[in-house]
Amino acid sequence: MLEQLAPQIVNGLMLGAFYASVAIGLSLIMNLTGVINMAHGSFLTLGGYFSFAMVAAGAPFWVALIAAPILTALVGLALERGLMRPLYGRDPLYSLLLTFGLSLIAEEVYRLIWGSNGVPVSAPAALQGGISLGTFQVPTIQVFTAAILVVAMSALWLFLNRTRYGLRLRAAVQDTEMIAALGTNTQTLYMVNFGLGVLLAGLAGVLAASQLGLNPTSGNALLMPAFVTVIVGGMGSLLGALAGGLLIGMTISMMTLFFPAASDVSMYVIMAVILLIRPRGLFGEEGLFG
Amino acid sequence: MTSGRRAGILAGVAVLVVLAFGPWIGGFLNIDTSFLSEVLLTAIAALGVNLLLGYTGLPIFGNAALFGLGAYGAGLAIKDFHAGFAVALLVGVAAAFVGALIIAPFLLRRRNIYFGLLSLAFGQVFYFIAYRYSDVTGGEDGMAFTRPALNLGPIRGTVTETMMYYITYGLFVLAIVSFWLIVRSPFGQTLVAIKQNELRVRYLGLNTDRFILVGILIAALYGGLGGALYGLLLRFAFPLLLDWHQSGDFVLMTMLGGAGTIFGPLVGAIIFVIGKDIISTITPAWEIFLGAFFIACVLGFPKGILGSIGDAIARRRAPAEPNETAP
Repeated sequence: MLEQLAPQIVNGLMLGAFYASVAIGLSLIMNLTGVINMAHGSFLTLGGYFSFAMVAAGAPFWVALIAAPILTALVGLALERGLMRPLYGRDPLYSLLLTFGLSLIAEEVYRLIWGSNGVPVSAPAALQGGISLGTFQVPTIQVFTAAILVVAMSALWLFLNRTRYGLRLRAAVQDTEMIAALGTNTQTLYMVNFGLGVLLAGLAGVLAASQLGLNPTSGNALLMPAFVTVIVGGMGSLLGALAGGLLIGMTISMMTLFFPAASDVSMYVIMAVILLIRPRGLFGEEGLFG
Repeated sequence: MTSGRRAGILAGVAVLVVLAFGPWIGGFLNIDTSFLSEVLLTAIAALGVNLLLGYTGLPIFGNAALFGLGAYGAGLAIKDFHAGFAVALLVGVAAAFVGALIIAPFLLRRRNIYFGLLSLAFGQVFYFIAYRYSDVTGGEDGMAFTRPALNLGPIRGTVTETMMYYITYGLFVLAIVSFWLIVRSPFGQTLVAIKQNELRVRYLGLNTDRFILVGILIAALYGGLGGALYGLLLRFAFPLLLDWHQSGDFVLMTMLGGAGTIFGPLVGAIIFVIGKDIISTITPAWEIFLGAFFIACVLGFPKGILGSIGDAIARRRAPAEPNETAP
């Protein structure tokens, strides 16, 4: 039993880390600017394709792991400046539709460049194989993936809570006008915030490519669990996203083992229960949004 | 009744009269009759979105689930219970209604962006159900069924494409008239008041949750009717009908035509369905154009076509008035 259970637990941890890091990006962007970023999945996919292209061109995986998310974030920043800025302060539906349109374009562009079938991405040799834990083994790459994502999320937490700029970001969520009046350029703030969210998505995308496959729509498979994670964990809470992500990742992983037919629907059941007993989410603050 | 309102009603009646000659005009322009049916049934479903989005101010993003439930409901009634045309239609509408009844209590917990997120997520539940439970729904491959004969008193016989159009047209007229009556009623006016300031409506002693619940259920009736008609038109139901991409299409065509206007969904559906068809015959990469279209609409036509026309007329009528801003 334990031989079967242990890999599923590690798999659940990894899935949870994916959901959490995507959810944190979504939540950051939603909290400050009120934008539901439907293109977030496309940024994930883009990160994956960037790293695929780099590795195919001969770059080592480690370089791609750092460079691909940065490139993805740069693309995100350009789109934020060019297209999304006029929509801040308007009905959230407009930015939702805009990012939805972006995701449609992105999917098709990926299809034109890299083909509609997935491209094979394998983990670097150093991470293949397993870590032996007594009588059973867990895959190294999954442990590595979860660890990298947790480190990235911790770094983000430190940035938001231990630097002056992070403080301003959090303050802007409370009262953007006051922050602007005190002399912070809120447009830059929005941009940095969006860039951080996309950076995290790009990183998750690079790691997801070898674990969950890479095709023009693969990022969208993480988008819906991430939305559910935001709702379960609570809007605007890093801790909530982490807890929600792990809860959902573990649940899906366990359901895959015991009751595979219900694995997709299980996270929605969790969401429904959370909404009934705690509408603001596990760690959400009341009144931030609706 | 103001002259502007009378002109609006006349224009609406004129549109309905023109649509009555749909197959004939379509033949002239070389457009398939089934294609025109698709436009009308899409517009019926978009009316539901319009009620929530345009009149109540709720960013609904899971309406494809209701549409898909309509199609699957009709299909299952035919496939497993050998239902007739009218019964299949009713079962489809009922399926969407029950679906809405299940998710509405959850949606009511939140407003604004959260409402959008919740409707998106709960809509996906139905997508996964259709996708997973392949014993019943046929899974990814979808579910094929026949189009049964109509057996409704004196009107009976096989439903041809032309007949299908006139059934859809008749229901569209019913839908648009009922919609007009709803948004003019005290109930509809309360929804508009909720859009403007829900807190004040609450202070007036009205239970806004209850109004929104009824709004969602009415939207489900329109969505389910549109979906059931679509299933009967295609003789087919498939999971992508319930997917959030489909929801996005409904929201876009509502906003493109003009959210908060009676005929906005029809205008949006005409442009959207026909535009999609034209572009997809030119290039397989039509999604790029669809996406660009989304972006152009959002940035260029925030009030939609009918909304912009309405504004222009209002400006010409009252040039002296200081420029007012939308609430």
